[in-house]
Amino acid sequence: MRGHRVEQLGIATVGFFWCFLMWFSTAAFSPSIAATYHLTIKDLGLLASSAIWMTPAGRIFAGWASDRYGAPRTFAAILAGCGLVSIASSFTTNYELLFVERVVVAIAGVSFVVGVQHVAQWFDAHEIGTAEGLYAGTGNVGAGAGALLLPRIFGTDYQSAFLWLGMIALVVAAWYLWRGSAAKTMERRDVVRRGGDLRGMVFVWTRYIAIALMLAYAMSFGLEIALNAWLPGYFARGFHDEILALGFTGVAGVQVAAGTFAAVASFNASLFRPFAGFMSDLFQRKGWTPLPFIAKELPYAPRLHWLGIALILIMLSMIGLSVAGLYGFLPWSIAVLVALGIFVSFGTGGTFALVPLLFPDRPGIAAGFIGGISTVGGIAYPLIFASSVNGHVGYLHVALYMFAPFILFYFWAARYERHPQEHGLLGRILAGLSSAPKPS
Amino acid sequence: MNPVDIRVAPREPWYKYGVAVLLFEMAVAIAVSGYSLYMTFNGLGGFPGKH
Repeated sequence: MRGHRVEQLGIATVGFFWCFLMWFSTAAFSPSIAATYHLTIKDLGLLASSAIWMTPAGRIFAGWASDRYGAPRTFAAILAGCGLVSIASSFTTNYELLFVERVVVAIAGVSFVVGVQHVAQWFDAHEIGTAEGLYAGTGNVGAGAGALLLPRIFGTDYQSAFLWLGMIALVVAAWYLWRGSAAKTMERRDVVRRGGDLRGMVFVWTRYIAIALMLAYAMSFGLEIALNAWLPGYFARGFHDEILALGFTGVAGVQVAAGTFAAVASFNASLFRPFAGFMSDLFQRKGWTPLPFIAKELPYAPRLHWLGIALILIMLSMIGLSVAGLYGFLPWSIAVLVALGIFVSFGTGGTFALVPLLFPDRPGIAAGFIGGISTVGGIAYPLIFASSVNGHVGYLHVALYMFAPFILFYFWAARYERHPQEHGLLGRILAGLSSAPKPS
Repeated sequence: MNPVDIRVAPREPWYKYGVAVLLFEMAVAIAVSGYSLYMTFNGLGGFPGKH
């Protein structure tokens, strides 16, 4: 196979960055689109939520496709398809058609699992945490960069932005096809291709450890995208008087303050993610296994412990966010949010430092399942936050009634000292499909 | 996956550059957090866009 691992990491990261930029580009221009088509608040809410409609099912399919056809072809197809529709949307003058086109462009968000599979095919076990962290963390910045830069570069001219985003996506797609290589060796590529069948998919979906990792990712990335949507409104309502007391005036002023406070969680969750992967590598290198119950003898046991610590920290900081909100002290709330963002990154980075090691023959299918279903959290958590009588206690409810059971399940599923992949539903039917690495 | 023993495996040459990138990204995140915390005490006073 041609190529060098750093080049492959670079291609995957640039591709993912650009896909994330396209994924959230609609949101960046929603005020301009709303002004052009005279949209109501309800229409705007629908437009905002449509960005993640295709993600759960799309990531499952994309993960399978990357195992079956290789990451370069799959990634290039996503980039080219979304790029062409983005170009088409720049010429559209009918809102209904524009809405459908932007939903299709948002499919770019499924590319995450393809890049995870690509990186996993090139990096070895002792450096996978940092490599996946650099890929995902740097790529995730595309969302923030889009929100920050696109309106400044293009002003209200969203049509030019969609045109340029689409054209550059085609260039990146061509580069991915030209220089991308599916795996480090042909042997590795063949093993993964063979594992990418329906039986292999059912196998992964029914493993307790895969379900535990999916819930862990729902606690971290699912929470991250939920907070992106929820926090600006939370600060604007929950700390309205405190924000006014700081000298911000009017709707626009409160919006600027609330958006800046909310961005703390997003920035930390994205930018600390490579560090989280590095910490997973460090735990592995040092052999740290401090938690009770979780396996200590598996070849990757320290990584399981690192993720367990991250999940506990996420739950505790969610409780802290509720307490800080109830006290009504804004700086404390922001400090807790900084910690929560960092702990969320520990969860996201820790999860995908494990996925390729647990399912080395089906990294795409596993990444699709774990990275896809978990995004439902982005829809579920805001609904729970919003249903709480007091706006501050929603975090406490999610922490106690969802995260605590998720963590208990994780500890239970990660307790096996030998081949946790062999434990799951449909055991007899799927017997023999496990490709668990033997303890050395 | 290569079953190499991570505790004795030497780090690859790319690793130090990867660590440099992640340190830079952490620094950006800390700067954004610091700015937001500053804002909770002082508003935007002095920063671009004064509200």
